[in-house]
Amino acid sequence: MSAATSGAPSLRARPAKRTDKPQKWGNPGIYFIAFLLISASVGPVVYIVLGGFRTNSQITVSPAGLPNPWVFSNYVGVLKSGTFWSEFSNSTIVGLVTTVGVVVLGVMVSYALARYEFKLKGAMYSLFAAGLMFPLVVAITPLFIIIKDLGLIDSLMGIIIPQIAFGLPTTVIILTPFLRAIPKDIEEAAAIDGTSRLGFFFRMAIPLAMPGVITVAILAFIGSWNNYILPLYVLNSQVHYTLPLGVQQFSSQYSQDTARVLAFTSLSMMPALIFFSIFQRRIVGGLTGAVKG
Amino acid sequence: MSETLRTAAVGRIRRGALQVGDAAHAASPTPRARKRGRGRQRLEIALLTSPAIIVFVGLVIFPVVLAAYYGFYKWQGYGPPTDWVGLGNYKIIFTDPAFQQALEHNGLIVVLSLVIQGPLAILLALLLNQKIRGRALIRVLIFVPYVISEVIVGTGFSLMLQVTGAVNDALHSIGLGFLATDWLADPNIALWTLMGIITWKYIGFAVILMLAGLQSIPDELSEAARIDGASYWQVQRHITLPLLGPTIRIWAFLSIIGALQLFDLVYIIWGQYISGTAGTSTMATYMALNGRLAGNYGYGSAVAVVMFLVSLVVALFYQRFVLRRDLRGAVTQGVN
Amino acid sequence: MMKKTPAAAIAALGLGVVLAAAACSSGGGSSNGGNSSSSTSSVTMTFWTNATPGPGLTFFQNAVKSFDTAHPGVTIKMQNVQNEDYDGKLQTALASNSAPDIFFQRGGGKMLAMVNANQVAPLTLTTADQANVSAAALAGETLNGKIYAIPMDQQPEGIYYSKDLFKQAGITSTPTIIPELEADVAKLKAINVAPIAVGAKDAWPAAHWYYNFALRECSQATMNAAGTTLKFTDPCWTKAGDDLAAFLKVNPFQQGFLTTAAQVGAGSSAGLVANHKAGMELMGAWDPGTIASLTPNQKPLPDLGWFPFPAVPGGAGDPSAMMGGIDGYSLSPNAPKEAFQFLEFLVSTPQQKAYATAFITLPVNKAAQSVVTDSVSVSALQALNKAGYTMQFLDTQYGQNVGNALNAAVVNLLAGKGTVAGIVSSATEAAAKG
Repeated sequence: MSAATSGAPSLRARPAKRTDKPQKWGNPGIYFIAFLLISASVGPVVYIVLGGFRTNSQITVSPAGLPNPWVFSNYVGVLKSGTFWSEFSNSTIVGLVTTVGVVVLGVMVSYALARYEFKLKGAMYSLFAAGLMFPLVVAITPLFIIIKDLGLIDSLMGIIIPQIAFGLPTTVIILTPFLRAIPKDIEEAAAIDGTSRLGFFFRMAIPLAMPGVITVAILAFIGSWNNYILPLYVLNSQVHYTLPLGVQQFSSQYSQDTARVLAFTSLSMMPALIFFSIFQRRIVGGLTGAVKG
Repeated sequence: MSETLRTAAVGRIRRGALQVGDAAHAASPTPRARKRGRGRQRLEIALLTSPAIIVFVGLVIFPVVLAAYYGFYKWQGYGPPTDWVGLGNYKIIFTDPAFQQALEHNGLIVVLSLVIQGPLAILLALLLNQKIRGRALIRVLIFVPYVISEVIVGTGFSLMLQVTGAVNDALHSIGLGFLATDWLADPNIALWTLMGIITWKYIGFAVILMLAGLQSIPDELSEAARIDGASYWQVQRHITLPLLGPTIRIWAFLSIIGALQLFDLVYIIWGQYISGTAGTSTMATYMALNGRLAGNYGYGSAVAVVMFLVSLVVALFYQRFVLRRDLRGAVTQGVN
Repeated sequence: MMKKTPAAAIAALGLGVVLAAAACSSGGGSSNGGNSSSSTSSVTMTFWTNATPGPGLTFFQNAVKSFDTAHPGVTIKMQNVQNEDYDGKLQTALASNSAPDIFFQRGGGKMLAMVNANQVAPLTLTTADQANVSAAALAGETLNGKIYAIPMDQQPEGIYYSKDLFKQAGITSTPTIIPELEADVAKLKAINVAPIAVGAKDAWPAAHWYYNFALRECSQATMNAAGTTLKFTDPCWTKAGDDLAAFLKVNPFQQGFLTTAAQVGAGSSAGLVANHKAGMELMGAWDPGTIASLTPNQKPLPDLGWFPFPAVPGGAGDPSAMMGGIDGYSLSPNAPKEAFQFLEFLVSTPQQKAYATAFITLPVNKAAQSVVTDSVSVSALQALNKAGYTMQFLDTQYGQNVGNALNAAVVNLLAGKGTVAGIVSSATEAAAKG
């Protein structure tokens, strides 16, 4: 295979093969099955969204029916409430900072693991892999005490830093092969040109591993957005609440108002859905890359 | 993407650990420059790895160690632990029928997840792997459940699966009323309901992974086989499935670990106390009920350690016996 | 230049993350109770309550506002925690020294655990304070001669029922013994109404049936002894379980009780009663308030009635004995003195009157009891005054560990998965884990 010169371009050429400006309509049978699958996947979501457009009596009388008439007050009420937006912004801040932290730290460590040789390399990798065995819910008590000792209780940082830590195993496991897959030839060519290893890191490795980086970023953001158990124990004041906490609190506060709860719930999942739909190409591409190498 | 590149990378991701000392180095510099280079290299490694290591060890590894420490005590959570019981907590754990049931449920969930989601995901991926119009949209839509938080999934499904909820109502309205039942409270059904919800949430993820794996299989192979007269299913069985092997094994690994650690969904839907009664308790809910909720922090820490060890043993076993096959399997040598 | 900048950049990156962490942590840190500044400079206190949003929570918001206005420089930050999450969150906060200054206290064994851990401050009441609080209620918050919480109300437990549904079913008088209750269950079934609502998902509502049977079967001495020894060897405990098992044979509970919550939502047991889908439920004196927030027009249920838990023929317990809870508020040891002033404020007569009206419950302040006029609460209050003795809810009395185990074991029995013997053994096993 042609080395340095075709290494980079061939990697960049990969997306062209993946691009499906597809050619033809498929067999209707396939579309039917796809339709079934999609209805099953999206059905409950639709139920939640539509439920917000109904009144409680509609829901009690006809649990599986359509809104009749369509009622907007629930959604409007939630959109007007300061609580929703403050929780939304908290979730956003936490999500963004977590993502940046996970990506930065993860890329740095994965690069070291992927392209340097040192004695403890295998052990370090296994260390991160072992972290997969210890989920947040299991660690919560000692973790809480550590967070408290750092003075981070009831602060967003008290959520962000543990989330970064717990996001590292998946990140390292996904990114290391990506970074490893960059041919040595490119690196050697760059070295001959006078680039340091770290220069190579910034200028070439990261751009080449971008699909993996983006996958990791998306997974980190979604994971942070949906995290429930950690904010439940670390955050005390409502001004700091994130959305999942808000959903649970709202559903108990307005428990009798099922329709309003559904409206709040569906608005809470919108950001994750929108975020995902913007980046879905990258996610699929990233997962593709992770599996293929 | 070049074949050798992909092959080499595939080999690496299978192993899950790193090869040390591969690939040629450039022409060796003078000994002095090499030493300076090595020292500088160590500095770079330290700089690159230390932030992640500090954060990770401090907030993930250290709690593991702390949990192990607390697990040797009977401790109510305040002040330092003083009531040493050694392995006493562990003895209670393994003789408690509630824990045994929880472990059983975890085992069932692991097996059922693999058996239900695996073949289904592969079939669906095969179906959707055609270059048809709308493929991108389909992929997006089936991935939606994965993106939604478990709190929302739990809340939504709790409402839908009530005896007077939307699911039973829909069944009545299409004439399948005899199927309407108490999906959540009947101990005979509850676990299957849980499996249904889990499948709903994670099948999209599995399909996307399988699709990715399928896309790395060159079309020429199946075309060649077809020319030789193989039927569609023969092609799948003898070419596609084996080449999909690495993907399947990775997905299975993630699925197993996830199933062992299941907590959020069960907690949100069945609440803090009754998952055992409903037949859906897991090790994690057992830990919450007998540990934190009961104020027995020492006992709860011991359960946490048990969960960790179970996951670790399964993972090590899996890596050693299942993933290792890929190293000397057809993948690394056949595709070239 | 090219070689130096990348390394510097990386160092800067790493440093930046650490600095950001430090900067943000100093801003968000101390929300705990160590804020007792000596003089008139500003004092901030945290206050946790489990009040459900509605008139109850509004009462506390108003109380906090009034207190803050009357005491310039003092700010109380209130936090309401959902009842089912409350114990867990409080435990975690107490275990890591970031406890709120003022917090809702259930009493009993749960309070005992906090006392043993020095997580709650003993209170010294002035004579004025003691005039405001009934002695019986205070006794419930006293351990080893020290008072650890100010009670706010008393919550005797009994059966709340819908008079309209009873009339519809042809029930002319409320049952006084269990066989009569069983007969009433049959009559309600005949008119297609769920006879008794129970929120077994939260476990304790189901367990309260067992506890009340125990109250009827066991003597006061036995029940108190079990609190200290945590041993349940007296045969009365098993007898109570047998009573419950026999009662279950008439299928008194609503369909799907295993996943019905107690207080949350129209589908909860309180919601079922509020919407006339169930005939009655066994609950403490907070129930009228909860039911009121779940009725279609969110006003108190007009036909709500009350009768005490029926007697069990042959039981060793006093048939007039009542089980009940006392809602109180405790202070953490580091709480500033203004926190105690807030408690005194809460138990003063005008506040207690507002409290009783908001929660539709029985205040401890005798003078404030005059606002209790609804027939339901009056019945409960009269029964309370006539009771031979009162007992704390057993899951509170025996502490969180044993209490939780008992609760779960009773639910198992209800679901047909557990045995009567299992209830007693669960308590013993739990004691071994803690």
